[in-house]
Amino acid sequence: MRMPFLKEQILKQMQGFSHAESASHIRSEDRLIMIDEASFAYPVSGESSSSIVALKNVSIKANQGRHIAILGRNGSGKTTLAKLINALEIPDQGKVIVFGHDTSDESALWSIRQTCGMVFQNPDNQIVGTTVEEDIAFGPENLGIPSAEIRHRVDQSLIRVGLEQYAVKAPSQLSGGQKQKLAIAGILAMRPACIILDEATSMLDPKSAKDFFKLIKELQQEFSLTIIEITHDIENAILADYIYIMQQGEIFFSGTPREVFTRPDKVLAAGLDLPQHLYINHLFQKSFSLEALEKLCKKYPNDIFTPEETADAMFELNNIANPQMIAVSTTKYNSSNKTIISVENLSYTYQKGTKFAVDALQEVSFQVKQGEMVAIVGHSGSGKSTLISHLNGLIVPQTGQVEIMNLNTHNKKDIREIRKFLGLLFQYPEHQLFENTVYEDIAFGPKQFGFSESVIEKNVKQAIDIVGLPQDIMHRSPFELSGGQQRRVAIAGVLATDCEIYVLDEPAAGLDPIGQQEIINYIMHLRELNKTVILVTHDMKLAARADRILVLNQGRVTAYDTVENVFSNQILLEDAGLEVPPAYKFARLISEKFSSEITGYTAEEVSYNLLKHLSSRRKYNA
Amino acid sequence: MHDRLLLGKYYPGKSILHRLDPRTKFILLILLMVTLLIPKTVFPILLLLVGSACLIIISKIPLQEILSSLRSILFILVFAFLINLFSGKGTLLLDLGVLKIRQDGLLNAVLMSIRLILLVLDTTLFLTLTTTPLQLSHALENLLKPLSAIRFPAHEIAMMMSIALRFVPTLLEETDKIMKAQSSRGANYDTGGFLKKAKGYISIIVPLFISCFRRADELANAMEARCYHGGAGRTKLNELRYTSLDLFFSIIFIICCAIILFAHYQMSNLI
Repeated sequence: MRMPFLKEQILKQMQGFSHAESASHIRSEDRLIMIDEASFAYPVSGESSSSIVALKNVSIKANQGRHIAILGRNGSGKTTLAKLINALEIPDQGKVIVFGHDTSDESALWSIRQTCGMVFQNPDNQIVGTTVEEDIAFGPENLGIPSAEIRHRVDQSLIRVGLEQYAVKAPSQLSGGQKQKLAIAGILAMRPACIILDEATSMLDPKSAKDFFKLIKELQQEFSLTIIEITHDIENAILADYIYIMQQGEIFFSGTPREVFTRPDKVLAAGLDLPQHLYINHLFQKSFSLEALEKLCKKYPNDIFTPEETADAMFELNNIANPQMIAVSTTKYNSSNKTIISVENLSYTYQKGTKFAVDALQEVSFQVKQGEMVAIVGHSGSGKSTLISHLNGLIVPQTGQVEIMNLNTHNKKDIREIRKFLGLLFQYPEHQLFENTVYEDIAFGPKQFGFSESVIEKNVKQAIDIVGLPQDIMHRSPFELSGGQQRRVAIAGVLATDCEIYVLDEPAAGLDPIGQQEIINYIMHLRELNKTVILVTHDMKLAARADRILVLNQGRVTAYDTVENVFSNQILLEDAGLEVPPAYKFARLISEKFSSEITGYTAEEVSYNLLKHLSSRRKYNA
Repeated sequence: MHDRLLLGKYYPGKSILHRLDPRTKFILLILLMVTLLIPKTVFPILLLLVGSACLIIISKIPLQEILSSLRSILFILVFAFLINLFSGKGTLLLDLGVLKIRQDGLLNAVLMSIRLILLVLDTTLFLTLTTTPLQLSHALENLLKPLSAIRFPAHEIAMMMSIALRFVPTLLEETDKIMKAQSSRGANYDTGGFLKKAKGYISIIVPLFISCFRRADELANAMEARCYHGGAGRTKLNELRYTSLDLFFSIIFIICCAIILFAHYQMSNLI
C-alpha cells in the first residue's frame, strides 16, 4: 500500500484545505443555495401529455455553513428536491441557484456537482470503485485532476473519515456505517462546499448513525460546509439550524427547530413524529380542558421546546387544573405457560475451520412462551440475523438444539412443518416480491404449504384487510405500487400463511412515522390473536412494547429479561451499544419535577402513568 | 471470501512478473501464444518448455497453485491427446484392432499436450496469477484506446468490467438473502423434478433482476452526482506507467521468442 505522507503531516495539511481551495471562485454574496419557486413533474412513461407532479412552488434558502433539515413523509418530494440542488434534475418552472450558478446553465454543471456532494440512502448503490481508494478517487478522476494530486486527496480523505486501514480492501468488506463514511470521503476528495444527505442514515443502526452524524457535524465546523439533510428522523433534525417540512410536494411550513416543534399540531398534521418529550406533553395536554390550556398560555408564556421547559409546563398545567382521565386501553396480553420456542446451547461459526472463521453465535439459550412478544436487540453484527435464521431451519445448528413447537431443526422433515408454523420476515421484505399480481404473491406462501384454494382465497383477503390495503389492489402488479404499499403486500404474504409464530426483522425500517405506527398496529393485532411475536430491532421505542427483551452482544446473550429490568441496567445497554428509549429518559426528568416515581418506556405509557399517579394523589389528598 | 472474489485467482507477490505493467504482459502474452502455436517439432518445443519453467521460477508462485489451473482443461487435454494418439502415420507401435497407435501419432500427441499445457499455464501465469482483474481492465482500456477513433467504446467496456467486478459480492449476498426469504415462505429448491426446480428459481431471479435495475438506476445517479461524464478528460488514481523493467524484460523475452522461432525454421529446413 502506498502511503506517501505521514498521518500527522496529512492532518496538518488538512487544516489548510477547505475554502481557500474549494470555493475561492465563489464570491461571498454567492455563497448560498437558493431554490426559488421551483416546480417539477416526472413525465409518465408512454403518455407524453401526463406527468406526476413532485414539487410545487418550492422556495428554500441555505446560507454557507448552515445545517438545513428537510422533513416530510415518504413521497412528499424530498428526494426530488435534493436532485434539483445538484442538478440531477432541472426544475420545470422557477430557478435553482447554487453558489451563484443557475442549475439550468449547462456550462456550470460540473462545478455545481463538484461543490454539492450527495450521500444517498442505500450505501451499496453509490460505491463505484472496486477498492476503497479507487472509489474515493472516482470524483476527482472525473474532474480530470492529475494523478499525484488525486493520490494526495485520497490519502487525506481516508484519514479524515478514519478508513485508512481499508484503503485497498473491497467495499463489500465494509459495514453499512463505514460505507456511508466512504461516500463522505469520496465527496471530500472533490473539495465540496455543501453536502446533501438523502436519508443517509436510514439504513444504519443507531450507533453507526450517531457516528456518522458526529463526523458530519465535525466536517461542517472544519470546512464551514453547508449541510442539507433530508430525513424523517426527528431526533437528528432537532440539531439543524433551520427546518423545512414538506407535504405533497409543497413546503408545508418552516422555521427554526424551536419554532417548528412548538407547534406540535402542525408537525403531526404533516405526518411526522414529535421528539418524545413533546409527544408525551401532547398526550398529557389532551387530558386537560381547552380552558386550562388557555390559562397555561397566560401563566407560562415561554416556548415549550427543551425537555426541561416541557417538564416545567406540565407541572404548571397540573397546578392550574385537574386532568380528566381519558381511558387508555392498556390491554395485558396473556401468554400461556407452554414453551413454544426453545433454543439450547446454540453456537455457530461462519466458514468454520478456515482462517476466515467468524464466531457468530456462542452458547445461546433461551425460551419463548406461547403468546409472548420478545424483542431481540443488539447492534449490527451482533448475530441477530444468524440467530433468527436458525429459528426456521435456514441454518441448521452446528452445535446445540433449536426446537419449535417440539419440532427439531436437526430433522429435515420437521423443517418444512416449522416453516408453516413460523413466519419469518426479513428486512426490506418488499424486495422478495416476484409474482405477476399482488394476489398471487400473497398466496405464494400458503400455496407452497399446500393450503386448499378456498382457504388461500379467504386468507389472502383477510391479510389484505389487516395491512389496510384496498381489496381491488389484488389484481395489480406488485411492482406498480409505492415502496410503502409493497412492504404491506410482503407483510400480508406472511400473514396469509396464518402462522403461530411471527419473526419480524426490522419490519419498520425505512418507513416514515405513520408507516411505522401502522406496523406497530399490525403487531398489536397479532398479539390480540394470541400469536407469538419475535421482533428484531434496534429501535428501542419498538422494543419497549415487548414482554421481554433479549440482548445480543457479539454473539452472546447478555440479558434476557423484562423491559423494566433491561432498560434500567445502564452498564448492560452501553456494553451492547444500545440506548435507553427517549421516553424513559424524559420519565426520569418528570419524576424529579413531580417528586414521585414515574416510569414508562413508550410515550403513551409515560403520560398514562403520570396521569394515573396525579389522580391517585388527588384522591389521597381529598 | 470477498478478497477471493475481488482478486480472482490473483496470488499476491512482488516478483518481476507481478511488477511488470499489465499492458506489457498482455502484449508479450500474445507474442508467446504465436510462438507456442507455430513449432511442431521436438527441439523448439523443448526450448519452450525450458522457457516456461524459467517464467514459473521467476514468478515465485508455488507450482501446485499454477498446476491447479490445468484442472479445468483436463477433459480437453485428454481428448486432444487421444485424437492425436490414434491418428497419424509411421511405424505401428500397438494394434488394438480398430485403433492403432503409430509412432507419429504418439509423438504428435505428446507435443500437442505439452503445447496445450504451456498455453494454459503461461496465460494463467501472466494474466490471472500475477495481475489483478482491476489492473487487467485498466490495461485493456489503455490498449484499446486508439480504437476509440473508430468509435470503439474502450472506456465504457473497461468501466463495465470494473463495475461488474465491484457488484459481484453485493449480488451474491443479495441472492443468498432472497433465497432465504423465499425459503421462509415455503419455496423449496432442493426437491422436485427439473421443471419444478426451474420454476422455483423464478422466485429468485425476478427479485434479483428487479433489484439489479434499481441498483443500476441509483448507481447511475450517484455516478452523475460525482461528475461522471464518460471517459473524456478523465484521469486515473493509479496511472499505468512503463518502467525500465518492462523494457529489459520485453527485450529478453522477444529475443527468446526469436530464438525459438529461428530454431523452428532451421529444423523444418533440415527436414
